[in-house]
Amino acid sequence: MMSEPTWKSTFKAFLYLLPALLILIIFNIYPIIKSFLMSFYIDFDYFNNVVYERGVRNFIHLFQDPNFIKATLNTFIFVVGVVPISIILSLTIALFLNSKIKFLGFFRTIYFLPFVTSVVAVAIVWSWIFHSDYGLLNYFLGWFGIDPINWLTDPTYAMPALIILSIWKGLGFNIIIFLAGLQNINQQYYLAAQVDGASAWRRFTNMTLPLLSPTMFFVSIISIINGFKVFDEIFALFNGKPGPANSTLTVVYYVYQKFYEEYEFSLAAAAAFVLFIIVFIFTLVQLIIGKKFVHYD
Amino acid sequence: MKKSLLLTLLSMCFILLLAACGGGNPEGGEDNSESGEGNSKGGEDTAAENEAAEEVEIEFWHAMSGPHEEQINSFVDQFNSEHENITVKPVNQGSYDDLEQKIMAAAKAGNLPTLSQAVTSVIPEYMNNDFIMPLNDFIEDSEIGLSDEELDDYVDVFRESSQWDGTYYSLPFSKSTRVLFYNKEILEDNGFEAPETWDDVRNIAETVTKDNVVGMGFENSYESEFQAVLNQMGGTFIDEETSEAQFASENGVEAMSLIMDMIDEEIARTAGEEDYMSNPFGRGDVAMYIGSSAGIPHVAGAAEGNIEWGTAPTPTLDGEAATVFAGNDIIMFNQAETAEQKAAWKFMKFLTSPEITAAWSMESGYLPVRYSAQELEEYQSFVEENDEYKAGTEQFDAGFFTARIQGSNKVRNILLEEFDNIQLGQKTVKEGLTDAQDRANETLQ
Repeated sequence: MMSEPTWKSTFKAFLYLLPALLILIIFNIYPIIKSFLMSFYIDFDYFNNVVYERGVRNFIHLFQDPNFIKATLNTFIFVVGVVPISIILSLTIALFLNSKIKFLGFFRTIYFLPFVTSVVAVAIVWSWIFHSDYGLLNYFLGWFGIDPINWLTDPTYAMPALIILSIWKGLGFNIIIFLAGLQNINQQYYLAAQVDGASAWRRFTNMTLPLLSPTMFFVSIISIINGFKVFDEIFALFNGKPGPANSTLTVVYYVYQKFYEEYEFSLAAAAAFVLFIIVFIFTLVQLIIGKKFVHYD
Repeated sequence: MKKSLLLTLLSMCFILLLAACGGGNPEGGEDNSESGEGNSKGGEDTAAENEAAEEVEIEFWHAMSGPHEEQINSFVDQFNSEHENITVKPVNQGSYDDLEQKIMAAAKAGNLPTLSQAVTSVIPEYMNNDFIMPLNDFIEDSEIGLSDEELDDYVDVFRESSQWDGTYYSLPFSKSTRVLFYNKEILEDNGFEAPETWDDVRNIAETVTKDNVVGMGFENSYESEFQAVLNQMGGTFIDEETSEAQFASENGVEAMSLIMDMIDEEIARTAGEEDYMSNPFGRGDVAMYIGSSAGIPHVAGAAEGNIEWGTAPTPTLDGEAATVFAGNDIIMFNQAETAEQKAAWKFMKFLTSPEITAAWSMESGYLPVRYSAQELEEYQSFVEENDEYKAGTEQFDAGFFTARIQGSNKVRNILLEEFDNIQLGQKTVKEGLTDAQDRANETLQ
């Protein structure tokens, strides 16, 4: 099918790629380079673009700032809290939605709805669900004899509250991707396995999972990257504060605080760059692990 | 989605790129419009200038929406019809935070509007970055300036908060102060009048706290109340001259304890997860609370059909009255041309004229910024009918404002964090305040 690449075909392809490439360079690549350079500014006039002194002091400052350490830890806790549960839940729901049930379209819409709803609207609804006196969640917990929890004002529970909201919000997207993956699996495999007498669980572990591994790989990379970038949910759920006593301060929130609230432009750039490196390393590790376990047919 | 922040950052960098490629030098072309180097504006402009030398259009950025925005638009219409050659274009930029961010981006790109609303505490940042216009030349102008009587007519606390070392950088516009809201029913049932002192507050709170009612309420950011009590005790919050935080003094610990003890004893609460106190107060969950006078319409909305309520000046301590005045000013940026600046100044003067500030106050709930506005018949009959608006203006003489220094946002973030730590019992009042002061002074250096 594929012929050898020639200069002509390369040029033609390049023309097709150019529009997207231009946008990427202007809005992604250039800012990444620029913010990397900016993270070394020490003495500078941001608005007139004059730099008097450069150095690594911003990075030293970052790692000495307890709030940055806290933000990094919180971000890790958030990712660990959200990603595995989100993947297991959405895979389960996708399997269910992939089976023969009535009102399939209705269910698929229901599960996708949170994803297309604005974060602010979602956060307002959840802040009522989490309300300590009037909230639904504490009401349900009350049935099991659990005392009301101050989800949004107790630093111990603020992060779990944020994780619950984020899992719920992200489910729809993951489900859709898993569904697409499931429907790509050739039904004949299953028929053959049934003929051989494989149980449903065996069919799931030995066929569905391996055949779904490219999808799984994609979902986990996207989820982890998105997890590291969490910001909107916090801002909306805690009304423009990083949770009680900074309990949900994450790296992106830290960047926001430094840049927009505190006019610490170069420090914000340094923090953003550290986050970039962290995400980069994680993605690399996933790629290496992925090579071992992902089967592309 | 989560990219919105990143996108903003990126687009700002993009703007920068465009600005760099545009070839226009941002410093030139400001005052010397005759030099004919219209490379950034195009050729039409010069032609238009010749035709009608005084025709100017100025942009006014603000963060007012809903009925407030309509009111601003009607002021603008009135001004535009009174001034043939001037067209003011009001632009709503979203919330105060949005407005601040857009100013930052516009400053970087070199296309700031001529006028904007701005929180007083952020003005020092604009001064330091040199894109805000001092107003003394306009004020002292014999033709379009303000006479001494007019200047004295601006409420003292606002006039002072618009000056830095004797230089005016803003005129007061949407200003508010703290007032005490009280639930008439609960207080009357227990035989109380509106509290006048902190002792009264404590006394009432102790008595009326029961079942689902908490006696006293504070907003989540009660640093205004902390500052007021600290001021009443004779302490200093932040010294504006030296930019030094001094709130962890003995007075500071005492002032914070006054508030915190009530919270610990559960005769007072903060708004907590409800963001603002107006909702719990409107439901009747708290008997009293101290909040912004700009919140009066919100309280009215939340209380409608539920409770009877009133306002009183904030409590005194040992006979000392003190209350924080805050809010937004109008500022002028220095990227505009002289003619535009003159027109902008006229609009600033217009917006703060007694009639307009009175009309604005009646519509929005912000305080009138001129003494004479309060004497207007219309305003007096308004206050007669809506006596909840009395408490704000009654406190003018006891008014003071938070130190306006560079880095005040940083200090605020630190303070809010340490207040949380104190309230959650992770630190004692003394530890929390001392840590906050040390951290504040470290960043203010």
